[in-house]
Amino acid sequence: MDPLNGAGRPANHPPPPELSRFLLAQSPAGPRDMATPPLHPPIRADGTVVEVRHEGGSNRRISLLVPGWPGSEPGQFAMLSPGARSAVPRTDPLLPRPMAVFRSQATDDGHLVEFLFKVTGRGTALMAEALTGQVVGVVGPLGRPFPRVPEAGACVLVGGGTGIASLYALAIREAPTAMLLLGAGSRDDLMGVEDFEAVDDLEIRIATEDGSRGEQGLVTQLLERVLDEAQSPPPTVFSCGPTPMMARVAEIAAARGATCWASLENNMACGFGVCLGCAAPIRAGGYALVCNTGPVFEASTVTWEAMP
Amino acid sequence: MTPDQVDMTVDLGGIELRNPVLTASGTFGYGTEFSPFLELESLGGFVAKSLTLEPRTGNPPPRIAEAPSGMLNAISLENVGVEAFIRERLPALSDEVTVIASVFGTEIELYGRVTERLDGVSGVAGIEVNASCPHVKAGGIEFGQDPKALAALVRTVRQSTRLPMLVKLSPNVTSIAEMARVAEAEGADGLCLINAVQALDVDVDTRRPVLANGLGGLSGPAIRPIALRMVWQAASAVDLPICGIGGIASAEDAVKFLLCGATAVQVGTANYLDPGVAGQIVTGIAEYAARHGFARIADLVGALETPQGG
Repeated sequence: MDPLNGAGRPANHPPPPELSRFLLAQSPAGPRDMATPPLHPPIRADGTVVEVRHEGGSNRRISLLVPGWPGSEPGQFAMLSPGARSAVPRTDPLLPRPMAVFRSQATDDGHLVEFLFKVTGRGTALMAEALTGQVVGVVGPLGRPFPRVPEAGACVLVGGGTGIASLYALAIREAPTAMLLLGAGSRDDLMGVEDFEAVDDLEIRIATEDGSRGEQGLVTQLLERVLDEAQSPPPTVFSCGPTPMMARVAEIAAARGATCWASLENNMACGFGVCLGCAAPIRAGGYALVCNTGPVFEASTVTWEAMP
Repeated sequence: MTPDQVDMTVDLGGIELRNPVLTASGTFGYGTEFSPFLELESLGGFVAKSLTLEPRTGNPPPRIAEAPSGMLNAISLENVGVEAFIRERLPALSDEVTVIASVFGTEIELYGRVTERLDGVSGVAGIEVNASCPHVKAGGIEFGQDPKALAALVRTVRQSTRLPMLVKLSPNVTSIAEMARVAEAEGADGLCLINAVQALDVDVDTRRPVLANGLGGLSGPAIRPIALRMVWQAASAVDLPICGIGGIASAEDAVKFLLCGATAVQVGTANYLDPGVAGQIVTGIAEYAARHGFARIADLVGALETPQGG
């Protein structure tokens, strides 16, 4: 089935009532409705490293056994302390790193939670060096999930760089009416492709800037073509990746009347609305916190040109 | 002696605390954000985010950056305003939680008006005066950097409330002892120190400061030895109880501040790293006291063996 011209959504996937209430209560740029509890209240826990695996280039996958992990919704994230905990608390680097939950599964010993990341600095380098059995601090799940696609609608998922990791759970939820577009500089920069390929009924197209995998070019060029070929009404677009990519995705979607949701990746210190460090500029004026108003925003509400 | 036999209560300038561990303003939101991670009732209390008369929007991003063993921030005191705090945030907390309201304004009169509004409000145990704001009329210098401005500020807030009044001092001064004496002379019931240390970091690729605001405040373990020095100097200069703040991330860190003369402590940046850490620090202090034979936490205060002429 062509996901973009296909029939309605599977009847066996209505949003659970508590989720639809949660999504109705959220305004993309407004303050969190304090009366609406999050789906999975966050926990703080010691995650035990099961393995750290190379995923091509400087990409890594860390699998943690997290006791008490309550599960998460597509687009949610966790704060991971940099590197394994030692007898003397690490102070440098100090702050935890926000990372999208790639996937999790229940086991007899607790939830196995996977994160994909790219080694870009000292914090992620320490994470990459963590050994099996060592402990990593975890706070999560945090943030608001990607909203549901309207009934009978299709969607396009656009991922670039480490943003690809945010889309896996969404791809599972929205397949088979979803198409996934992945972009990276080179073949080695693509993360998690084999996992996406294993998702039933998910159509995947890839663009790399050097042409080493898929088409040569930018993922945003793929998106333009896909949207131009799509039937009306236009599919919902979801994106996560570098800010310039998401800004361009927002522009392309808006020009074609497609609703677009973007998952932002600002720096943050806490992840749950306290440090106020992750403020994103909002068209309505002022700022919204990426951690708890987002990370998922309706793209037209974000002042892209003023993003850090 | 076991940890649960230790008398953990302390009196911070007329505020009775069930234990000496508070959390610092600006790092603990309005309290409920931490409900998933710890029992708020298990803490000595918390200092809410600084309140202004009107709601306030913060600085453009980037607002935070990592620093060696610390972080830089320039949030600019974004807050919901005193009315929303009283109407929406305070009622969300149990009566068992000790709440200290931090007040701030760009003019002395505004500090006074926020404080007046909080006076007599049920659930507010005390006032912390955030004296580290730039004083607009004095050309942008912090109230807490000028003895005359600090005196005028403390006097005004004193006249605006019957609640216990703590004054949070800036570390960006030549003599913390002088500032401590000024606050004492104007009627402060206690002192809190230190606030963040003014700092700057630079992105060499863009040749710009890393924060959009340019300057920021350095917090976290990086400033702990500076904070300990200043707490010790202030404690030596005045008779007021002191709340020690600066890079506290463990019970051992907290005990250091008590030994240097602090009656209580505030945990700040460490709340971001581990939102349950303040509760662990309470437990750890009790264990330390039991291990070292202190039946009362109050007996630890100022128990530092000081070098002559130090």
